[in-house]
Amino acid sequence: MAKGAPAAFAGFRRPDAQVRALASRRARAASQVLVYMRTMAVFLIVWALIARITGNAILLPSPLAVFTAIVGLAQDLELFLHAGISFARMVASLVVGSLLAIPLGLAMGRSELLDRVVDPTIEILRPISGIAWIPLALFIFGIGNALPIFIMTYAGFFPILLGTIAGVRSVDRRLIDAARTMGIPERTIVTRVVMPAALPSLMVALRLGVAASWTAVVAAELIGAPSGLGYAVEWYRELLMTPQVMAFIAMIGLLGYVCDLGVRALARALTPWAAA
Amino acid sequence: MIGAADRANRTAIGFALPLALLALWQALGTTSQSARMPIPTHVAAAAFELVRSGDLPLAIAQSLSRVFVGFAVAALIGIPLGLAMGAFRSFERNIDPLIESFRPIAAIAILPLAILWLGTGTSAAVTIVAYAAFFPIVINTVAGAKGVNPTLLRAATTMGISRLRVIRTVIVPAALPAIGVGLRIGMGVAWTAIVAAELAVGAKAGGGGSGGIGQMMFVFYAYSVELNRIIVCMIAVGLVALALDRLIRFVLRVSMPWTSK
Repeated sequence: MAKGAPAAFAGFRRPDAQVRALASRRARAASQVLVYMRTMAVFLIVWALIARITGNAILLPSPLAVFTAIVGLAQDLELFLHAGISFARMVASLVVGSLLAIPLGLAMGRSELLDRVVDPTIEILRPISGIAWIPLALFIFGIGNALPIFIMTYAGFFPILLGTIAGVRSVDRRLIDAARTMGIPERTIVTRVVMPAALPSLMVALRLGVAASWTAVVAAELIGAPSGLGYAVEWYRELLMTPQVMAFIAMIGLLGYVCDLGVRALARALTPWAAA
Repeated sequence: MIGAADRANRTAIGFALPLALLALWQALGTTSQSARMPIPTHVAAAAFELVRSGDLPLAIAQSLSRVFVGFAVAALIGIPLGLAMGAFRSFERNIDPLIESFRPIAAIAILPLAILWLGTGTSAAVTIVAYAAFFPIVINTVAGAKGVNPTLLRAATTMGISRLRVIRTVIVPAALPAIGVGLRIGMGVAWTAIVAAELAVGAKAGGGGSGGIGQMMFVFYAYSVELNRIIVCMIAVGLVALALDRLIRFVLRVSMPWTSK
């Protein structure tokens, strides 16, 4: 009781101290935003100056031209259409990749024999990047939805698999032994002990998987898809409409960033105990 | 203690699945009617032929030279920048937004711009590689430089050492392991990026003669439809990736033996 007391009362700090902590946190966040804006403003000014000096709107359009292009593309929804297609493809391939990689990872983490049988095959395939599959996949699937989804699934599969295996391996032995002592069947051990314990590592793996497949989607769409952000970038390059090219490049970055934020939020929601 | 017999047994288990898959592929391939269907024996023959004619080694050498140039550029910019960011807090605060804004943009997305500015030749490919490798290198360098034991920094400051000398004698040695990690990750992405860049240049620039293994793959896909050869290239991409990783690990271990686990 005496030992637990300070922890229980930790919330009762002096109110003015609490207010001050909150205020200073807000001030820090505000100044961070300020610094961000300042840096980007300097960047935009330098860019505008270089664009002015270059004087070639195709080679280097001014920031204003790119902004106008973004507004135009947003107004006729083209920007969101391609972004939505790429995003949907990524979600689809992450679902497929997770459905393949997580059960396999759980099984490989739990069974040393299975790990020894499957691991060499994984290690043979893993160095072959998803992008190197594009020509073969182009031949098999043709140009369409299947190609980017296949490439992204492949790219996301390995980080998710390795993260799951590492997570399962890192589970405290004593927890499993305790569950076993209580006569809990293996399946319940996996769902109630191993999976929750492996979840933080799995979320980290998912983040890596998202990053890997987002990189792959641009390459896959650039070469072999009739739609999506990668396609749009290349389409406008061929038309020499550089402002639009830059608008879509910015969208690729923005959406990649948002996806990463989303996975991190998901990780915080699912595994609040693991500091992400 | 693992006995020799046990170790042999383990190896056998490890080889069982790949061999079984190869056998299955061979069986399916030989029974299929399509003449284009790649099968392991044809792939092996194609590999032999591509190596003997010198086409494959030449393409790999061309890709590798681009990777090394781009990687060197990324390291030469990324390490000093990362050290400066790690050493000077205000510098980091002002530069970080720029890096964080560009980091989510995949290197391949920059390719259309690189083609526009630099054409379809080597310089565009090198730019893509440098861009791809830059971010892991700079981010790990910053993390390493910021992770220096503060006691060491305070000790150095107490002794009145100038800021530049602190960087050279305290921060750099302490950050080296993290820089090594950044270089290793950077090399991995650099190789992926060069394959993607060459493929895309091959696909979108009318097959221009940029060379390299990615270009070679695209030619086998688009012009001669030789799946066996495409698979040879894929295997080569994987082997080079492995070899590059081993090489950089070896270099890091030799140059900073105290960091090896």
